[in-house]
Amino acid sequence: MTTPTSEVSLWQIIQPVRGGINTAIAISVVGAIAGLAALLPIPLVIDHLLSLNPQSSEVWRLIGISVLCTALSFACRSLSFYVSHQSAFKLEQILRTQLVEHLAQLPLGYIVAMGSGAIKKVVQDDVKGLHAFVADSTPLIARAYATPILTFVVLLLADWKMTLVAVAIAPLGFIFMSLAMKDYKERRQEYDLANEQVNNSVVEFVQGMQVVRTFDDGTTSFVRFRQSLDEFTDKLKAWSGATAVPGRIGSLLFESLPVLLLVASVGSWLYRQNQLELSTFLLFLLLSPNLIGAFRPLMMLSYYTNQSSAAAKRLGSILAEPTLPQSNATRQPNDASIRFRDVSFSYGDRLALQNINLEIPAGSITAFVGPSGAGKTTIARLIPRFWDVTTGAIEIGGVDIRELTNDTLMSWVSFVFQDTFLLYDSIRENIRLGKPDATDAEIIAAAKAAQAHDFILSLPKGYDTIAGERGTRLSGGERQRITIARAILQDNPIVVLDEATAFSDPENEALIQQAIASLTQNKTLIIIAHRLSTIREVDQIVVLDQGQIVEQGKHEELVAADRLYARLWNNHQHAQNWSVQVKNQAVSSR
Amino acid sequence: MIQPYRRMLRVLGDHAPQMQRNVRISTIASVLEGCIYALLFPLMLALFEHPINTSRLGILLAISGGLFAIETVLRWQELTFSWDAVNEISHDTRLKLGEQLRRIPLEQLTNRRSGELNVILGGNVSEIVLWLGSLCLTIIQTLVVPCVTIAVMFWIDWRLAIALTLTFPLAIPIYQQFRKIVGQGTRQTAIADAETASRVIEYAQGLPVLRATKQVGSRSQQIQKALANQRATQSRTNQLVILPSLMIATLVEIGILLIIALGSVYVLQGSLSLPILIALLVIAVRFSEPLAVFANYAAVFDITEAALERIEALLSIQPLVVLAPTQAPEKFDISFESVTFTYLDQSEPVLRNISLHCPERSFTALVGSSGSGKTTITRLISRYADVQQGKICIGGIDIRHIDPTQLMRLVSVVFQDVYLFDDTIYNNIRLAKPGSTDVEVEAAAQAANCHDFISRLPNGYETRVGEIGGALSGGERQRISIARAILKDAPIVLLDEPTSALDTESEVAVQRAIDRLVENKTVIVIAHRLSTVVGADQILVLESGQMIEQGTHSQLLELQGRYASLWKIQQNAYCWRIVA
Repeated sequence: MTTPTSEVSLWQIIQPVRGGINTAIAISVVGAIAGLAALLPIPLVIDHLLSLNPQSSEVWRLIGISVLCTALSFACRSLSFYVSHQSAFKLEQILRTQLVEHLAQLPLGYIVAMGSGAIKKVVQDDVKGLHAFVADSTPLIARAYATPILTFVVLLLADWKMTLVAVAIAPLGFIFMSLAMKDYKERRQEYDLANEQVNNSVVEFVQGMQVVRTFDDGTTSFVRFRQSLDEFTDKLKAWSGATAVPGRIGSLLFESLPVLLLVASVGSWLYRQNQLELSTFLLFLLLSPNLIGAFRPLMMLSYYTNQSSAAAKRLGSILAEPTLPQSNATRQPNDASIRFRDVSFSYGDRLALQNINLEIPAGSITAFVGPSGAGKTTIARLIPRFWDVTTGAIEIGGVDIRELTNDTLMSWVSFVFQDTFLLYDSIRENIRLGKPDATDAEIIAAAKAAQAHDFILSLPKGYDTIAGERGTRLSGGERQRITIARAILQDNPIVVLDEATAFSDPENEALIQQAIASLTQNKTLIIIAHRLSTIREVDQIVVLDQGQIVEQGKHEELVAADRLYARLWNNHQHAQNWSVQVKNQAVSSR
Repeated sequence: MIQPYRRMLRVLGDHAPQMQRNVRISTIASVLEGCIYALLFPLMLALFEHPINTSRLGILLAISGGLFAIETVLRWQELTFSWDAVNEISHDTRLKLGEQLRRIPLEQLTNRRSGELNVILGGNVSEIVLWLGSLCLTIIQTLVVPCVTIAVMFWIDWRLAIALTLTFPLAIPIYQQFRKIVGQGTRQTAIADAETASRVIEYAQGLPVLRATKQVGSRSQQIQKALANQRATQSRTNQLVILPSLMIATLVEIGILLIIALGSVYVLQGSLSLPILIALLVIAVRFSEPLAVFANYAAVFDITEAALERIEALLSIQPLVVLAPTQAPEKFDISFESVTFTYLDQSEPVLRNISLHCPERSFTALVGSSGSGKTTITRLISRYADVQQGKICIGGIDIRHIDPTQLMRLVSVVFQDVYLFDDTIYNNIRLAKPGSTDVEVEAAAQAANCHDFISRLPNGYETRVGEIGGALSGGERQRISIARAILKDAPIVLLDEPTSALDTESEVAVQRAIDRLVENKTVIVIAHRLSTVVGADQILVLESGQMIEQGTHSQLLELQGRYASLWKIQQNAYCWRIVA
């Protein structure tokens, strides 16, 4: 019912708790045996009652055994359930730790591209998706196999003819069930696909609703939503239409009543012919439904396995994602200069940077400019190793950054991008992230330099205010200044800065700009520039177009060269002077 | 059990009778099943007669067979319901919820995180459908069949019937305890799960920083703490649940065995015939297992009930009332008359006693710090929510008197964050005016400065947004949004001025697009950069929900007030340069 490959990966992924799982399965088998054993004394009770001199003590003894076995059976079942669940929880923790550890070693670019929502889905939801298999189905596996096999053996020992009668329905049931399961794999895939589409369209419908509602009452997107729902329902109907009749016959045959009626009828007849002992007859009446009933857990099992193997596949693919190679060398850069040697870089097969050669002296300011898509953000992100270069090398202080340990690289480069990141923790701790052993005085000094001290003190709990807590909503500019304080505290010799940060809060631009000025003092500074007036006085401007350096020099030189930079500068000046104009011909003509 | 069933019927709406019918069918089938089991008593009696009463035996087996045939027919219908009708129901329920999303006030929509709504439309519907399809029927079967058999027992041997009946009430208090524990456990686990989830999101978002500070993987305390807590919570619930569930199962099973013992004693005493005891054995063993594990459905009940609650809560939100008589404005000036407005989840009003008037085809700018109420004003014009005091009029007509669809046609909104559907560029623009031709769409795109970059896409206007993923820049997305607004050609334009994220070239292109959009419209701009609105007919300066200044650029500069000081700060900020 499940593909062998997915099952393999499922078993592989639960390897860390295999011991616990095996224990749970073993206990469950013991439980199944005890459950069966609990039924065996009952025919003996009847035998005894039929004997010439029945004793109540003997009846109580037999019932007592049955009670004990029942209690044992349930205790085992609970214990097995307990062990398998505890293993599942342990597995969840192990896998999540493994995942976050692994994520930390992947290229940051991969993380950014994947997005935090998708990462959360894998770490939280997909790991949880294994629960059904590990916790719920392992005890079932044992019961689903052990109970029918044991029952079959016991019945066979008791009377082989009656056993044939008891299993007579099973092949019939199997024929119908396998008819119902025809093309199961293909259908299942189709179903999963359609189901995924429905979920996607739900997400799109919900997310887009606010935007759509500003256009009309949502008719257009509602139509799309309905279409994908219709498609899904049609697929489902086609599936159940094709398999409905055999499926229904199959599930009706797997009820215990038909077996019981058959055994009762044939048994009565054989009993009348004196070919069957009463106690044996009773044994069959008691046990034969077990043979069939056990297949219900099997069906549940395939449902659980299906659910979990999809999750396991996704987990496996994340864990198989190659990590950035880490160096063991203990080399340190000689200074804060940066050098690009013949650097090319592609996202997949899309070439983003081509043959970049560039020298950035220590302590200088370099700005990357260019039209959107030119590669200015990419080039800046290669320095903190968001990705590794495809060919060529980037050196800091004469050392290839791939030969630096992550810790070393991170103690040389700070970056301030537009997306601010604050932990759900106190503002103090958020700044301290930059330097875990910083004293409170250092933190306050950094906050002051970042123009954040005053607004932090105005918050209800000052530095102990939890960032992001309800009621203390920080504005974009305030968050930005906290992240700048963190970078100031870090005090790394190289700073990579997205210039847009300086304008992320139009109402408080001046404050952010002062904060940036304190951060960048005496550093090797690299700026991703959007607003050209900001960078008129930097040491070198590198103009990128379609992944290549097309111009390089100081502002005046580049303006004089009258090429791409001059055009951008011209545009920029236009943009600065723009104001919205509503032409009102109609009104004036009225 | 009754509670979720009632709720379920309410949620099902039109499908409720179908569900009720099916529950009836299932009940009848279970009663028949119970009767078949009860027939084991006379059957055994017939077997034990000397000589065996063959004709009675035959008749009894025939009756069983007949009842079984009827039961099979009923169960067949039941399966039809759970295989087919259930698909219809989940389809229709999702549609109904989708319809509801179109109707509820926008404020209610934005108040709910989209993740929550996804869960309701996706997951919760599947959950109730699962319950509907099989669980509900399993429950009926598990409960009704034994009840019928016990009822028949009263007629055969009242002592054993009473003993059987007594077993179950004993389990009830334990069961209730069990449900309470499961419920608490589920809630606690949900809290722990939410905590890990948000820590994971935080971790993923903060990885660049966390990596820089060496706080990753097993060194990341926040995440390790959350994971340990999650596991502890799960284990605790698991431990708490195990004992009561074991107790219920044991109680039921052992209770039944004791009744067998009691029956044997009666047989020994001669007050009960052996065939009756045998029949009782077969029946009791058959029922004990399903009854013993019945308690484990408690978790499913909780899930279903929570799902139903969420669905019902969403369905019960009332759309904004359209006051009679509905009127259609003929002029497009906008006025606020003493408007006070408070958001649902806040206690302080965001707008206090605001009065303003934007003449038709005039240009109004809203200026003020974040949280001053600029965005709220633009939201209220498109009836995001209704004001608590005062009124908002378009063309002199209170917007509560305007049909909502009509109102939406009057207003174009261009926000900073642009949502694009995974569909072709054509359809993404066409959204603004369903039924418009390709030519119209292209004309709008041209006016919005989108045509060139769209033409460069692999399939031009037929390119699906999903295929190119993040390849569209912020400025390009902005322009698509402006193209939508141009195509819509509504007489009122609300515009959130694009800020810094755009690079120079995009900025110019977006600015040109806006110039074309606002021609001959009543325009309200949320201004961030004051230089963009110097040409406004009126500038409204807001602070803490109140209007503190109002006038043209030059009037406000003369006033030497808040606007003038903002202007001065911004002028300086624009001259900011990075210097070594």
